[in-house]
Amino acid sequence: MKTPVCVVRLPRGPDPHGRGFDPTSPRYLALCPSSLSTSGEADPVALRTEQRTRAMMRERFLRCLISMANKKIQFLMYEKVKVAAVFGASDIDVLNFQVSDLQTPIGVQTEALIRCQDVISYSFDM
Amino acid sequence: MAMRQTPLTCSGHTRPVVDLAFSGITPFGYFLISACKDGKPMLRQGDTGDWIGTFLGHKGAVWGATLNTDATKAATAAADFTAKVWDAVSGAEVLTLAHKHIVKSVHFTKDSNCLLTGGNDKVIRIYDLNQPEEAPQEIPGHTASIKRALWCHDDKHILSASEDRTVRLWDRNIPEAVKTLSFDTSVSSMEYLADGDVVLITYGKTIAFYNAHSLELIKTIVTPANIHSASLHPEKDFIVAGGDDFKLYKYDYGTSEELESYKGHFGPVHCVRFSPDGELYASGSEDGTLRLWQTAVGKTYGLWKCVLPGESAYKKVDYWSSCDYTNKHKIWGHL
Repeated sequence: MKTPVCVVRLPRGPDPHGRGFDPTSPRYLALCPSSLSTSGEADPVALRTEQRTRAMMRERFLRCLISMANKKIQFLMYEKVKVAAVFGASDIDVLNFQVSDLQTPIGVQTEALIRCQDVISYSFDM
Repeated sequence: MAMRQTPLTCSGHTRPVVDLAFSGITPFGYFLISACKDGKPMLRQGDTGDWIGTFLGHKGAVWGATLNTDATKAATAAADFTAKVWDAVSGAEVLTLAHKHIVKSVHFTKDSNCLLTGGNDKVIRIYDLNQPEEAPQEIPGHTASIKRALWCHDDKHILSASEDRTVRLWDRNIPEAVKTLSFDTSVSSMEYLADGDVVLITYGKTIAFYNAHSLELIKTIVTPANIHSASLHPEKDFIVAGGDDFKLYKYDYGTSEELESYKGHFGPVHCVRFSPDGELYASGSEDGTLRLWQTAVGKTYGLWKCVLPGESAYKKVDYWSSCDYTNKHKIWGHL
């Protein structure tokens, strides 16, 4: 009767909350320090300013998303699509927006997901 | 003392896994990409199967996936009529290459500068990734869908396998195929091994090996079941194959003898590949899982651990993973 080979643990499965590519992993830090190329890597002052600007822009974007909650948004999308919907939330990677009461030419969708890559722009009254 | 193979199951896909590819060996180990009909190809650490990330963006089933040698770029071929190039470190989509039909196969040159694509519009295309707006070089000729197109001979030639029941060797500078192999039935898979200049082709229940320059037959092996995919060990000691009967078969390359067969998958096996160091092979199945199998069963490698006689009869290992859906696993080591 053959004994089965022992296993230290099982392979780790996908994280249900994101798409992975851990930015704190050694490989990421070594090969991909910044998703957008930094202007002056060698200059710590410029780097600090850039980081501050990036942080400010990110915070502004996140606050914008918060202020959109439960408001009616007009989306301009590819193929000349203009739809309106009540904004619910965004997923962590800003790949999808969860909306309600999506007004489309063929009817109203009570709940829907809008794919962010399909959106050109969106506007709303604050 | 003979040991029984313990395959490692990698879950996460929700539909059949139709293609997989390993990268070369990098300073961070080697990596594995899987193409799935759920449209979400995944990157995994090659020796453990640990999930690293999912490439999100395709709007249809992904039929082909590949990594470049240093695993910094990935490419995928999908039913949404596009091939996409990805940054394999950040997971970001870098390029979308529009095609006129379902794309089935993608392959990088060794320097990662060019991408070869093939699919249902029957035309082989070569994209210069440094000039993506430029029109690709096109190589028509096949009379049915292209299943697989690979670079070979230091990226000077191209091997293509098609539903027109031919495998053709092309020189990228010559419009007509340099050599053509015809079959009585569809070719199910094709692999190229630079070391030894061998092409492995599977069709029906046959695994066949050809010289990649002359396309002369070297040998064939007939298996018990219809084979969907086979892979030759980097040192050419073994062949592994899988197909319709859900099993993985292992053959000795020199003697063509069947050495082992393994059950485990719950559906037909669509793809099998050896890792770049030959220590394990991965299989993808209709059942939506990937499984990793040891070449030398019982050896300590990756997540497999050799338990020597003299170690305690029962060793309880509690394991928590923050990334798993499941709770504690208790893994018992036996003498």
